[in-house]
Order: sequence, then structure tokens, then C-alpha cells
Amino acid sequence: MNEDSPQNRDFSEAVKELVITRIEAQISPNIRLSIGMDGSLNKEEMIEHVKKGDEIGERIINVHLNFIKAQSSGELISALNSVD
Amino acid sequence: MNQGVIITLPKSDDVTEYLSVFSKPIIDECSKQNIKLKKLEKDKANRSDFEKLLKSIDYKMIIFNGHGSVNEILGHKNKELISAGKNDSLLTNRITYSRSCYSLQGVGNSSMKNNTDGCFIGYKIPFMFLIDLTHVTNPSKDNIAKIFFETSNLIPITIIKGNSVKEAHDNSRKSMLRAIKSAIKKKNKDSEAIAETLWNNYLAQGLVGNFNATLR
Repeated sequence: MNEDSPQNRDFSEAVKELVITRIEAQISPNIRLSIGMDGSLNKEEMIEHVKKGDEIGERIINVHLNFIKAQSSGELISALNSVD
Repeated sequence: MNQGVIITLPKSDDVTEYLSVFSKPIIDECSKQNIKLKKLEKDKANRSDFEKLLKSIDYKMIIFNGHGSVNEILGHKNKELISAGKNDSLLTNRITYSRSCYSLQGVGNSSMKNNTDGCFIGYKIPFMFLIDLTHVTNPSKDNIAKIFFETSNLIPITIIKGNSVKEAHDNSRKSMLRAIKSAIKKKNKDSEAIAETLWNNYLAQGLVGNFNATLR
């Protein structure tokens, strides 16, 4: 597991709900997410893993939390402003 | 060690199919720059063939496409190609780009232990990409997946053009930021998912070894 992101922890139901809401809003029916050895997942499969809170679900949650964190801390905007 | 590139191109599931199809620009760049290239395609992407080939031609740069874990880089049908502590010293003093999940932490670090001239670029967490199912039978037409491969292909392409590994890493990360900007500006239905997945790869990508290493 990765040491740089919040892996191996129990995510609260509120966090899971937040991520599920984001997936429902962001992922079109024609899109699949490739996430390593577990192949590619459609929207319903992503939501199922997040609900279960298994290893794949945790990875998906981490992607969302890392992005939200970068947006709220200003890290994302600062990085985007560094390129043309 | 000889100037040249070995690339693995497994095709045993939809993920490895995409990795291999989108490696074409890397192959084309080798040809353009007159850099020797050896491809290990489909079932040839196995440990025995890889080790034999490396021993016989001793090329400086290796590009792995495939699945992986902290301690392993895998080939066709997820068969082990490189394992930390077993045969990872084959990568010492070479330039390696591993487009596989997690391998930077384990294989990357252990292969660069006694290294002076090589460098390993890979991912601390999963390399992720989005697939547009409309084009799943013809990945090269998938303009959503293309965004993730254009930005990651810049790593080997920048090195093949003669630049250092650090320059390649920076070039690729900057291109990811530009792609995030572009996705956000478009404000279409897939924008947020594209930006978020690219940001994952931006955070995941890292390097260990001699950052000034070059192929030439």
C-alpha cells in the first residue's frame, strides 16, 4: 500500500456518501475507470466498491479526497498557474 | 551497455490492450530518432524472454507496460517480469519507465540501490486512466484515454529525444497540468473525472536514481 495517501483506514459513511454523490454526478454511462490489476470499472461497479469499503473502494475514495484536498488547499490552482 | 530501448507490450485484458496500443507514439519516436528498439509483444512479455533479450542486447532503456504491485512488474497474463529482491538488479544503471501501479516504491527503490547511472520512473499509487466504451474495440480512437497516454508517453519520448530523466518527468507532469486545465475549461460531462484522474497520476508519478541519466 502507498505511504503517501490515506490508505488502510476506515472511511466514515459520510465520506463514502460524498464520493458516491461525486461519482454519480461525474461519470457518464460510457466511461470506465482503469484502476490497475482489477481491470476497468463502470459507474455502478465503482459505487459498489466504495459502499463495501474494500481495497478498490479505498483507492477510489483516495482519488476523490486527494483532489478535494488539492482544490481546498490551493495546491491545485497553484500547480495549474505554474503552466501556460 | 548499448543505446537502445526494450518495450513490453502485453495484451491480455482491456487495460494492457490500451497500454500497448497507446505505446505506438513511443515506438514511432524511436524510429524517428534512429534509436534501436526491441518489442516484447503479448506472450513474449514474460520473464524468461525478457531476461534472455536483455542479456543478449544489453540495452540502456526499458519500458514496462502492464500491471504491477509494490514488489512486482508483470507481463502478459500477469506473469512476473521483475520482482524486488529477485531479478530487480537487472534494472540497476539502466533507465526504466514502468507504466504499472505502485512499482516505484518497491521495485524502483530496490533496483536503484547500487546504482550510479540509471534512473527509475514509475508510480507510487495506481496509474489510472478513463476508457470511453464507445471505442473499446478500437482503443486508438478513444480520445478520453488518449489524454492519459499522451501525458505519460511524454516520459519515454522526452528521454528518447536525448533529454534527462528529470526533464522527462517534469515535461510529463507539466503536460498533465495543461490537460487538467484544458479539461476544466471545456466544462463538459467528463471534465471533472478527467481532471481528477489526471491529478491522481500527477501525484503518483515519481523517480528514483540518477535524475540526470540520459539515453545518449
